[in-house]
Parts: sequence; structure tokens; C-alpha cells
Amino acid sequence: MPNSSTRSGSQPKKSGGSSAAKAAAKNPPTKNPPKGGTRTGPGKKTAANTRFAERQARKHEEARRARQDRNKRYAFVAIGLVIALVAVLVIVKVAGGGGGSTSGADQPSPPGGTPIPAATLTHLSSVPISTLNSAPTDGIITTPQTVSGKALTADGKPDMLFIGAEYCPHCAAERWPLYVALTKFGTFEPQPGKIHSATQDGNVPTLTFYGTKYSSPYFTFTPVEVYKNYLNAAGTNYETLQLPTQSQLQLWQNANGGSFPFIDFAGKAILQSAQYSYAPLQGLPFGAVAAQVGNNSTTIGANINASASQLIKTICSTMTHDQPAAVCSP
Amino acid sequence: MGEDMPRWPAVVGTVASVLGLGIAGYLTFEHFTSSSSLACADNGVVNCLKVTTSSYSAVAGVPVALLGLVYFAVMLVLQLPPMWRRPEPAVRYGRLAWAVVGVCTIVYLLYAELFAIDALCLWCTGVHVLTFVVFCTTVYATLTYPPPQEALP
Repeated sequence: MPNSSTRSGSQPKKSGGSSAAKAAAKNPPTKNPPKGGTRTGPGKKTAANTRFAERQARKHEEARRARQDRNKRYAFVAIGLVIALVAVLVIVKVAGGGGGSTSGADQPSPPGGTPIPAATLTHLSSVPISTLNSAPTDGIITTPQTVSGKALTADGKPDMLFIGAEYCPHCAAERWPLYVALTKFGTFEPQPGKIHSATQDGNVPTLTFYGTKYSSPYFTFTPVEVYKNYLNAAGTNYETLQLPTQSQLQLWQNANGGSFPFIDFAGKAILQSAQYSYAPLQGLPFGAVAAQVGNNSTTIGANINASASQLIKTICSTMTHDQPAAVCSP
Repeated sequence: MGEDMPRWPAVVGTVASVLGLGIAGYLTFEHFTSSSSLACADNGVVNCLKVTTSSYSAVAGVPVALLGLVYFAVMLVLQLPPMWRRPEPAVRYGRLAWAVVGVCTIVYLLYAELFAIDALCLWCTGVHVLTFVVFCTTVYATLTYPPPQEALP
């Protein structure tokens, strides 16, 4: 019985013939095969069943091949899509559509920024603590984390290290609450100037700490702005502005892998990235953002205020022993 | 007739994963020590330090290099020949999904390198190429060849 299917047609391969064999097994030609291979009566039925089984097997095999071919096409389409996507990115870049290497599109601001009106700075530094503390925290992405690192000091005081880059939009966002927070504990002289992150990197208005000096009875503030916000003459890289010291570099690398921005609160806490998204700030004039600081009813204002509140709390707990009380324990 | 799963997907996938694991391991080591010692040219377009110290080099504080290391460690296990011989859909499609995750990530990272960071990191590019190779192998083999038990006589 099992051999009846091999009477006609080609011999199935060992591994590939399973379908025919299975089909034949499922449809046994007859219970009583004719003696001597007679093709009359039940013998005719046997031959017909065998042919039927073979046709079924061929159909199965054709369906399998069709499925395999279709899946193979899907695979090639998937691979082709990825290649096409990468090609589009490269072509757009080479054609200059994505900015980046086209220095002509970049509008630099001086590394130290341009002067900010005194009234604006006063506004930024005089937001009530109660307003900051009552800001909605919906837009907060990350918060300072306590760490047990080596104490960071300068001039006999706890030191707060900020590592950013002027081209970096995340840093641009973070400087707003940072300025608001720092001015609760000390003063800048000279004051920060206004800049924006690189045009092709969000064009986010902000202040720069490059060239500033901060004085506080409680702690020191060490800002390092690694890159400028414009490209070099070749249009390939952002110009380097300040290089971190080896120890700062190591601290930074160990803490967050060396990404911008980074804040170390005297080795007791760190902030590994911007506290809120810079997206709503993109392309806005400096004054439009400054005007929202202290206003908890706008997204930008609430994000800056809530971020400043967290920075202040962290500074109080890590560097000032909760002093001054008016700031730390209002 | 149905084809058995050939050996080459497992071989290619394993070799690519081992290489990827090595490069990702090196980048992770450099991240946690000092990436200023990264062996990489700085000729403007290629600037590894700029890429590895950019804001795109970490996701929620986790270095991308470390994520790459984890990716290739998992992928290496999935690409080993015994795993290719396993018929369970969880293994087949899990490997496929992991490969898709990898290729989506490298497209995003390439975008970041080209348009946000404006620099390329050769080591990272090496990882991207290996991820793509693993993706091609996995997609082709998974979709083209039936699960092992189907191929058995």
C-alpha cells in the first residue's frame, strides 16, 4: 500500500516528498489491492486515487512554493525599505536639505551672548518661591538624582558643575530654570548674555554662562560651555569653546556618558539631562520665553518654574544646608 | 519541495553579533572611562568624540553604547545555531522583532548623526552596518525558510 504512490510520476525527494507521501497516506487507494496489478475494477480506483493524491501533493507543493516566494518578496521589500530610508537621509544631507553642514544657514551669536535687558534679568531672578513650588510638574521629564560620589569643592565651598554646549537645545532649555534657581542663592557679575542653540539644532533661545562669574556665600558655580553654537569654517563641526578639565571630563563621562547637559551638585546629586522638553521653545524670541517665566498657566512657564523648583530643592539639600531659609524653607 | 533551514543565517548572524558585541563593548568601555581616548579620526565629518559626547549619546541617562552592548548580547544568543534550529514562534519572531528594533534604532541614530550632531562616528557606523547585516539575515531567513519542524520529512 505505501508504495502504490510511487508507481507513476517522479520519485519524491527524501525530505521534499513528505507532502505527497502524507497526502497518499491520508487517502489510501484501497483496502484490498488487486493481485498482479490488474487494472480492472478496484485497480482502476487505486490508480485514480494515486493520481488524485499526486495532484494534491503537487498543489500542496505549489502553494508552499508560492508562499515561500511571497515571503521572500516581503523580506526583500523590508530590506529595501531600510536601504531606501538610509539613502534618503544621506541624499538629503548631501543636498544640504537638513542644515547641519551648511554653515550659511547658521546665524551665530557671540559666545558670551548679547546683553539681556536688566528688567528681564530682574524678572527672571525675582519669581517668588511659592510660584515655583506650585508649578505643575506634568512636563518634567527627569529630576536630579542623589549620588554618593567624591565631594566636589572649589575655594573651600561645595561646587556646582554645569557642562553644556551653546549649540545644544537641551542645554538651552535647562539654562532657564538654572538661572532662576542660581539667582536665589547668589548673583552673576557679569550677567549672562542671550544666545540661541544652533539654528539647525532647535534654535532655542537661552542664556549662556560663558564668561559669567557667579558669587554666592553658600557654594561656587562652575559652568563649562564646551561648544559654540556655530560651525567652523569648513562647516563640519561646532567650534570648541571651553574644554572641561580631565577630572571634569571623567566625572561627566562616568555620570551620564558625556552627554549634554550635565549638572553635578557638589558630588551629592547629578542631573543627567534637561528636565523638560525644549520643543515648545524652538524658534521663539528670547523675550517671549522670558515673559513666561513665573507664569504657571503656560506650558513653557510651568516647565521652567517646576524645573527651577526642583533645582532649588536639590541645591538646598546638597550644598547649602537648607539655607537661606526664605528659599529653602519658605 | 520545502527547504530545510540552511546554516548560513546562523553563521552570518553569529559572526556579526560577535563583532557588534566587541565594538559596542569597546564604546561602552570608553564611555565609562574617558571617551577622549577613543581611537577615531577627527577630520571634521568623522568625529567620534563629538558623537559620543552629544546629547544623543544617552537615552534617559543610559549610554547608547551600553544599549548597543545589551542589544548584541541578546542578539548573539538568538543567532546561535541551536537557536536557529528551534521551531518555537517565540524564538523565531522574537529574533525577528529584535532585529527590527535594532534597525529602527540605527536609522534614528544615523538621522541624529547626520542632522543633529553633524558628525559621524566610525565605530558607531561599524555597529550600524553589523546591525543591518543581522537584520537582513534574520528577515530573509525567517520569512523564506519554514520553521524547522515543517522542514522535517
